[in-house]
Amino acid sequence: MKYTIRILALALTLFTVGSCTDLEEEIKDGFTEDFDPNNPGVGQSGSGSSDGLNAAFSRLLNGSAAHNSYFSIQEVSTDEAVITQKGGDWFDGGIWLNMHRHEWGSTHPALNNFWNDAYGGINECNRLLDAGGLSNDKIAQLRVVRAYFYWRLMDSFGRVKIVTQPGQDAPQSSRIEVFNFIESELLAAIPDLPTGKQAYARISNLGAHAFLSRLYLNSEVYTGIPRYAEAIASADVVINSGIYSLTDNYADVFSPDNEDDPEHIWILPFDEVTAGGMNFAQMTLHYPSQLTYRLAEQPWNGYSTLEEFYNSYDNADERKANNFVVGPQFDVNGQPILDLAFDPADQDGAPVNYTPEINQLAPSGSRQAGARMSKFSFKQKQRSNMDNDYILFRYGEVLMNKAEATARLTGNWNNPTTLLLMNQIRERAGVAPYDGTNMLDDSEFLAERGREMFQESLRRVDLIRFDRWGDAWWEKSQHNDDYRKLFPIPNTQILSAEGTLTQNPGYN
Amino acid sequence: MKKFLLLLLVLSVGFQGALMAQTRTVTGKVTGADDGIGIPRANITVKGTTRGVPSDLDGNFTIEVAANETLVFSFVGYISKEVLVGNQTTINVALEPDYAELEEVVVVGYGSQEKKEITSSVVALDAKEFNKGNVNDPAQLLQGKVPGLSIYNKGSDPNSGATIRLRGISTVGANVQPLVVIDGVIGASLDNVDPNDIESVNVLKDGSAAAIYGSRGSAGVILVTTKSGERGGKGLSASYNGYAAVDDVFRFQSVMTPDEYIAAGGNDLGSRTIWQEEVTRTAVSHVHNIAISGGSENTTFRLSTNFRNIQGVLKKSGFDQINARANVDHYALNDKLNIKFNLSMTNREQDFSFNEALRYAALFNPTAPIYTDASQSEFFQAILFDNFNPVAIIEQNTNIGQRKNLNFNTQVSYDLTDNLTWSANYAQQYSTSTNGAFYPSNSLFRGFNRIGLANRRTDESKFTLFETYGTFVKDFDNSSLTVSAGYSFQEEQFTGFGLEAGNFPSDDIGFNIISASGNIVGDLANASIFSYESPENRILAFFGRVNFNLNNGIFFNASVRREGSTKLGADNQWGTFPAVGVGADLLQYVDLAAFSQLKIRAGYGVTGSLPGPSGLAQDLYSYATTGGGTVSFVRAGNPDLKWEEKAEINLGLDFGLLGGKLNGSLDVYTRDINDFILERTVDPAVYGTNLRYENAGKLNTKGIELALNHTGFGSGGFNWSPGIVLSSYKTTLEEFVIDENMIANLGAPGQNETNLVRIAVGEQIGQIWGPVFSGNVDAEGRPIMVDLNDDGQLLTEQGSALAADGDFQEIGNGIPDVELGWTNQLTYGNWDMNLFFRAAFGHSLVNTFRAFYEPIDPGAINSYNRTKTDLQIEDLTVAQFSSLYVEKADFFRLDNATVGYNFDMANNDMFSNLRLYLSVQNAFVITNYTGVDPDPVLQDRGAVDNGGAPGNPNVLAPGIDRRYNYFTSRTFTFGLNIGF
Repeated sequence: MKYTIRILALALTLFTVGSCTDLEEEIKDGFTEDFDPNNPGVGQSGSGSSDGLNAAFSRLLNGSAAHNSYFSIQEVSTDEAVITQKGGDWFDGGIWLNMHRHEWGSTHPALNNFWNDAYGGINECNRLLDAGGLSNDKIAQLRVVRAYFYWRLMDSFGRVKIVTQPGQDAPQSSRIEVFNFIESELLAAIPDLPTGKQAYARISNLGAHAFLSRLYLNSEVYTGIPRYAEAIASADVVINSGIYSLTDNYADVFSPDNEDDPEHIWILPFDEVTAGGMNFAQMTLHYPSQLTYRLAEQPWNGYSTLEEFYNSYDNADERKANNFVVGPQFDVNGQPILDLAFDPADQDGAPVNYTPEINQLAPSGSRQAGARMSKFSFKQKQRSNMDNDYILFRYGEVLMNKAEATARLTGNWNNPTTLLLMNQIRERAGVAPYDGTNMLDDSEFLAERGREMFQESLRRVDLIRFDRWGDAWWEKSQHNDDYRKLFPIPNTQILSAEGTLTQNPGYN
Repeated sequence: MKKFLLLLLVLSVGFQGALMAQTRTVTGKVTGADDGIGIPRANITVKGTTRGVPSDLDGNFTIEVAANETLVFSFVGYISKEVLVGNQTTINVALEPDYAELEEVVVVGYGSQEKKEITSSVVALDAKEFNKGNVNDPAQLLQGKVPGLSIYNKGSDPNSGATIRLRGISTVGANVQPLVVIDGVIGASLDNVDPNDIESVNVLKDGSAAAIYGSRGSAGVILVTTKSGERGGKGLSASYNGYAAVDDVFRFQSVMTPDEYIAAGGNDLGSRTIWQEEVTRTAVSHVHNIAISGGSENTTFRLSTNFRNIQGVLKKSGFDQINARANVDHYALNDKLNIKFNLSMTNREQDFSFNEALRYAALFNPTAPIYTDASQSEFFQAILFDNFNPVAIIEQNTNIGQRKNLNFNTQVSYDLTDNLTWSANYAQQYSTSTNGAFYPSNSLFRGFNRIGLANRRTDESKFTLFETYGTFVKDFDNSSLTVSAGYSFQEEQFTGFGLEAGNFPSDDIGFNIISASGNIVGDLANASIFSYESPENRILAFFGRVNFNLNNGIFFNASVRREGSTKLGADNQWGTFPAVGVGADLLQYVDLAAFSQLKIRAGYGVTGSLPGPSGLAQDLYSYATTGGGTVSFVRAGNPDLKWEEKAEINLGLDFGLLGGKLNGSLDVYTRDINDFILERTVDPAVYGTNLRYENAGKLNTKGIELALNHTGFGSGGFNWSPGIVLSSYKTTLEEFVIDENMIANLGAPGQNETNLVRIAVGEQIGQIWGPVFSGNVDAEGRPIMVDLNDDGQLLTEQGSALAADGDFQEIGNGIPDVELGWTNQLTYGNWDMNLFFRAAFGHSLVNTFRAFYEPIDPGAINSYNRTKTDLQIEDLTVAQFSSLYVEKADFFRLDNATVGYNFDMANNDMFSNLRLYLSVQNAFVITNYTGVDPDPVLQDRGAVDNGGAPGNPNVLAPGIDRRYNYFTSRTFTFGLNIGF
């Protein structure tokens, strides 16, 4: 018996001495702790800047130019974009019809996607800031990036948590508290930011001033206190720097090779390979347009522009030709492209012809109806991810911020400063300036700003500031629901926050 | 010399004594009373003497015997019978099977037990009871045969495996398939065992039986024993089993004919094409199995080779497979030492074809031509959303793969003393699969505008097992004690890589010359490369078990397994999984004449379950080349993550009635799945990212299972032996981090963000949730829903699904109320017949084909052909999900009918047996379901459109019949079994 116990003991020992008691898990194809991929000695596998800030800046790309996140809710809730239900296509549980009609609920997935994108970016900034070892100008840039994410959250949801440390929860703040946080962060960052012309896909102090001019212009909406003088002062810093100018050709600002355009103040460096996430061609074009642009993937036939918005442009307006695709469509050989599944009611039959008028929102929106959104224009052999840089801040907006703030401060839409600034915009677009016969008023200002800033995710902000959010447009009825100036906090977030987030008033 | 003489004397006296009695030759045949078939090698002895003969292979015997002597007929598994010879010269004996089967030994974890001692719910099936016909997946052998074991393979895709569920959902996160143990190797893959080589299968259903397998036993355990040689001088034998099978589509998707399509407003493109027939075929398969086996006194072996050439009904789909297995067993040192080797390898070359073609065949314009020219060189292709010429998809593109499996294991056991045996088992299992696809530049489906697109990937896995244990057995008068204890080490690792590139100089160059890709030469950014490598995932365990048999009347079992895993947090790596069971043979204590067997059992056991992915306890960052290279935080670690545990109580009753002719087992159980592990969305403000694995909730399943078998009715050589298995269960979500939620998106076109399934705390899982269609349609062709809460307003858009004022309710449940299997074994002379019916009741299916394509939308009639069923509402033109598309899918199916004939080989020198059979699978189905197959769908792999791949299965969303399911076929099989 002793003998047998010895054998058993020996057998057990043999196999327990080695690796057999080791339960440590070694992750091999990922990392279990943070590291800076741009440290010296770490090879570069992507193209772009190697300043260690990519992780934060690249988070801005998420949802900014793609379907079902920030871009979609900022656009489809307004009068400049719509997703019609095309029979069996694009009903999607009615969520985009609801978005057009201002009947959205807290379970709308785009709200949740946007929330996650924003906090993903905030967390990335916090992580880099927390890791330490950054120069002051980089710390300042990260604070501005984080403040920008908070601006998006504050603008859309109002009451959010201000988290500034990784993994440290914070109470839900009021909208004014978030506003104050953003302002103080920007002001604190400005002295440390790089000055002059910003590096590609980064920001300088001028970017922060452009941001401040937008923040102050909307201050009344956010806090109840108008701060137009400060909006002008911030815009003036940008304008007086002499670094930026309106690009001669409007289309060049947005084209697939728009890198380093003189109008750009803060851009998102989308790239078809290394920085995906701009899907406008997919989102707006009809399936057979694949042949016009030789697209790598079939587009989705979703977004188009409302007829009234399209018609708000003069035919001579250069922006009209750039911003929209209308009319008969042809392939690269000049042959009409065909939709063999054309609508029986369609007079033209199979050849694709984008018409500005749209027969109905739902249920049977015509497949070829609607001017298509092409401000960020398409190139041949485009992949589903586009190459154009998307714009967060540009000189044209800063000019209009000052023009509007001046008009509001003076109470005169036709004051000389406003006219001078707006006419720079008008002139570049190739349309008649505002003068004694062609007068500005708040409606016309909003319309002009809309024509200029189309597809840049600002229409919602502008409509709310001009108090036109409740207006009727197309199949949306007039409403006085002020609570709809904020979106509901996503249901999923309220559930996962386990009591630490409460819903905005008016929503359940 | 004296001694020799004495011996001679004794012998001659004895001999004389024998001669003195009047002897004569008696002949006869020993048969089994159950099946009437001769019993080979039955023992025929003369009572009170050592004289005896065995019966031959057909049960015939001849013996010299005196009139006053008594013959004893006996055979293992049958009740012995004594016959006084008298003046008979022919004695035919039918032996009654010993239904108590008290001596039957059942393989359980780390050893075997006599069946009478088992206190848990275990079902044993041998090859005779397996499903017949064209069976390529070992799991299919068991379909419908084990109460509580649900096996569904939606459609008849030869390249896809079945979904297996034992007693419903056992976990939400992973390991939802039962643990498979092949010849003692736990975690073995059924991919590497051919159905022809399986001797028997035991299914451990409840926690008390499975707990000895600890963390991997939650979903139940399937123990597979492969065939082996027999000890003891029977010499070599060889066998051939082969069959040819013909498959046809059992049921097509019901769609409009070209004329109906045109009448509904579709564009007439001039041709008439029945697309579903164009992409399918009559598939012909053949399977061959050759085996030799044999054994000397100390060594046995069995070698087998299996060849399968299988075609699916979808054109091009199928596989060629060769599998070989060698089992060698050797005894030495007076049988104290036993060494076993098992080796098996499989090489399967697969053509997956494109299951999408089946969907597009139902949807493509039926007036479109296949080709645009008479020479059939140009396919008709048009740009439509999510719709492509299905024949072009199959013909233009390639989608193939190769899978290799290699397993070996060595088991040694040694009897250290008469009571103590030590065993060790070392096994490794490798699997490599290489898959590739090529889409040429003229394929609009994919590849177009990439100027050809090729991808290729290789995935490898390696699994190592070492186990050692000792078993101590001590017998007392009528009692016995067995104690086992051991150690187990498991390690698995996965690795793989792949690439995708386009822009090829010629469509003749595919994935085998990816180096010719223009992307790789000058445009690397347009190629993609990936690789992955898992950690060495280890499970360590120590286990022990005690079995005690008290006077053959009371049986007691207890086991414990202490197990550690690399996947959990450092403080929570070890878990303890105990089990206890008790059984009593009541007939030992009370006399109940009606019963031949009456045993009650009770068991309690805890098992665990681990999710599939690694790195759950640790923060996880990933690297991306985006914007110059970024590291991003993708998942928050949960160092507090602990074992998911299933605690189960099982009560059982085994009974025999009608003198042992009717036997049955009844089991009831309740199981709690505590702390189930799930990747969930968390507050990004708290964790820095929004994903984290957590112990998220609790499920409870209650169920009842019944098995009944009758040994046979009949006379005059005819026998009918029926068997029924019935099961039913309900699963409730008892706790969850979210009170109520909607999951399972219907998908594109047009029905994204349309979730079909509700999960809610305190309620049953499987609820299909939606608005209720009133039967009426509004002026614009929209369905009018029912105002369920009677508040005067209709809220039926998705945002209102869970709202208090929303008009939504449960409109079906994806899990069947009752599942039934009904076996009928009929024999007459040399003929045998097997009829197997399978049924399920109470489940519903979302018919997604109808949900998308039934409304005749004038704006999209040209995008898709329409489904056409009796359920269609004429004026409904707008697709919006509602109760209209949720159908009761009760069915009753003749799953298999087999007729066989055994030739009489008694006088044949060459063959020991010869059997021919003809089998039909899926002979008929009675159902009201309008889709192609009413089988339940137990998990959901998500919406797929325009070339996407199905996602990971979600077990909380049963009941959705997705559009990518393969068609079901009806199969005729003609087979031949020969023994040499």
